[in-house]
Amino acid sequence: MRNREIPKGLRDLLPEEMKTRRRLEKKAAELFTSCGYDEVLTPTFEFLEVVEAGGNIREKLFLFMDREGGILSLRPEMTVSIARLAATHLQEEMLPRRLFYSANVFRHVQPHLAQYREFWQTGIELLGAAGPRADAEVIGLAVQVMREFGLDNFKVSLNHIGIFNSLLDMCEIKPQDQELVRRLATKKDLVGLTEALDRLPADDLLKETIALLPTLHGGLEVLNKLPCIENNPSGTQAVEELTASYGALRDMGVEEQVLVDMGILRGLDYYTGVVFEGFSPDLGYGLLGGGRYDRLLSQFGFPCPATGFALGLDRLTLVLQNKEEEPSRCLVGGADWAAMVATADRLRSEGRIVALDVEGLDREQLEAKLTGRPGWSLLYIDDQGQGGK
Amino acid sequence: MEDNRLTIALSKGTLLKPTAGMLEAAGLPSDGILSDSRAMIFDYPGEPPIRYIICRPTDVPAYVEHGAADLGIVGKDVIVEQGKDVFEMADLKYGYCRFVVAIPAGMTGITLKDLNYKRVATKFPHVAENFFRNRGLQAEIIELHGNIELAPLMGLSDVIVDLVSTGRTLKENNLVELVTIMDSTTRLIGNLVSFRTKYDVIQPLLERIKALVKEQ
Repeated sequence: MRNREIPKGLRDLLPEEMKTRRRLEKKAAELFTSCGYDEVLTPTFEFLEVVEAGGNIREKLFLFMDREGGILSLRPEMTVSIARLAATHLQEEMLPRRLFYSANVFRHVQPHLAQYREFWQTGIELLGAAGPRADAEVIGLAVQVMREFGLDNFKVSLNHIGIFNSLLDMCEIKPQDQELVRRLATKKDLVGLTEALDRLPADDLLKETIALLPTLHGGLEVLNKLPCIENNPSGTQAVEELTASYGALRDMGVEEQVLVDMGILRGLDYYTGVVFEGFSPDLGYGLLGGGRYDRLLSQFGFPCPATGFALGLDRLTLVLQNKEEEPSRCLVGGADWAAMVATADRLRSEGRIVALDVEGLDREQLEAKLTGRPGWSLLYIDDQGQGGK
Repeated sequence: MEDNRLTIALSKGTLLKPTAGMLEAAGLPSDGILSDSRAMIFDYPGEPPIRYIICRPTDVPAYVEHGAADLGIVGKDVIVEQGKDVFEMADLKYGYCRFVVAIPAGMTGITLKDLNYKRVATKFPHVAENFFRNRGLQAEIIELHGNIELAPLMGLSDVIVDLVSTGRTLKENNLVELVTIMDSTTRLIGNLVSFRTKYDVIQPLLERIKALVKEQ
């Protein structure tokens, strides 16, 4: 049955999973709303020029042409589109502006468990605010939303992209070598990274420090293991910013969930400051990611600092499935359709989940139908209009 | 599942013996993994408890990428062919081999450029395709699953891309190495999340293993 196939990397979402997903989305939306975030949605596809303002990830895009000759891309994530939206519609508004979204995004990746070509992200963007308080608000919300979901054993790891970048700048190597080092570090190819650095003409201690970064993980003390950084103003500034954000998070009481991890570089080019990823020991992949992107909005003519995160609903659903009890359902049957409808409406107004027997079955047939289906109960209305069991 | 257990996927075959030696030198248990050739899972109590999964080398990256194993020990050849999203943590230096382009002995005197539009038989289609494409060459890749050296003899392909360690198999089949694509040795790989959630166990182990490799 060829006409039953769906394209590689996509999937159907069945009732069980949709329930978990809607529950997560609702909790997230309530939390974000309570903190002053407003929901927005952008078009499912954009001009390629818009998407590429966030950096070159062309091999991961689903591209097609419109009939006027423009190249279109299914959105690979929401941040760039929201930056465009803000630059178009929200420049006159009071800053900072807080936005949230829940949307499907598309990437041409090799599909496997928890990595699909169409997947769903819920996230926030805090536009127009720099500094540790803004970083802490966003990271704190990432922690809080995971808690709301009932995940207790997750962690959020922080880094500052400026630490890696400033060390790399200090090497004074050619741009293509910088690119190679960056790619190997992002890929977490520690062996390749060490080899590449060995070949490059740069200070040994500096190279050792860069090679060490992907394995530096722990509390704030990790930052003491960066011997070269004090000689570099932008590196020192990055360390100070990260320390300040960490301090603000500690004051929010989420220190338990927060770590420093110098290996977090994020794949996307637009990050400029504190970046972070959330993960749980229950799943071998990251659950959320985000960070500061102070230069992205200026690509759209709206120079303003910003930070945000997105969480992967598909992955969260894998971790959080079946954690909520199903409410029981009632099937109302009988000969008197009007009486059935009235009874069903009354029960529904009491908060019950009620389905009507639309097949016109008698009591015995209905009882047989529900045998072996826990969670269902039968309400059969007999001729007197009375509800019996 | 025990929360703090460290699960390591090991490649069976020629890598298993040096791997067992390395594990032992790093202070990890290894009793039985060499002698019991049929068991696939080995559990050791302790702090932390250790579990080994013995599997085909080509399956190791999958176990690690998905977090079914926290760490894995596998050749770079497998990692580069599969391109999985894993943390490549240390070069263990043993199990040396290299990817080569080999041609029938009668074809000598040619250069890589002459291979444009030729047929290439290989077990490693990604490595082969990337190699030729990066040099601006088009090659028709024919994926086979074993005894690649047979393909040019039977006229199935013009040349081969294969893994060699000593080069003896090539010689026996009247093939000569034209160019080395890359060297490969055994690597310690890790799951990206495990590295963070089990950092207190994995990082000291990584440091011990790196020190061991350096001493050799």
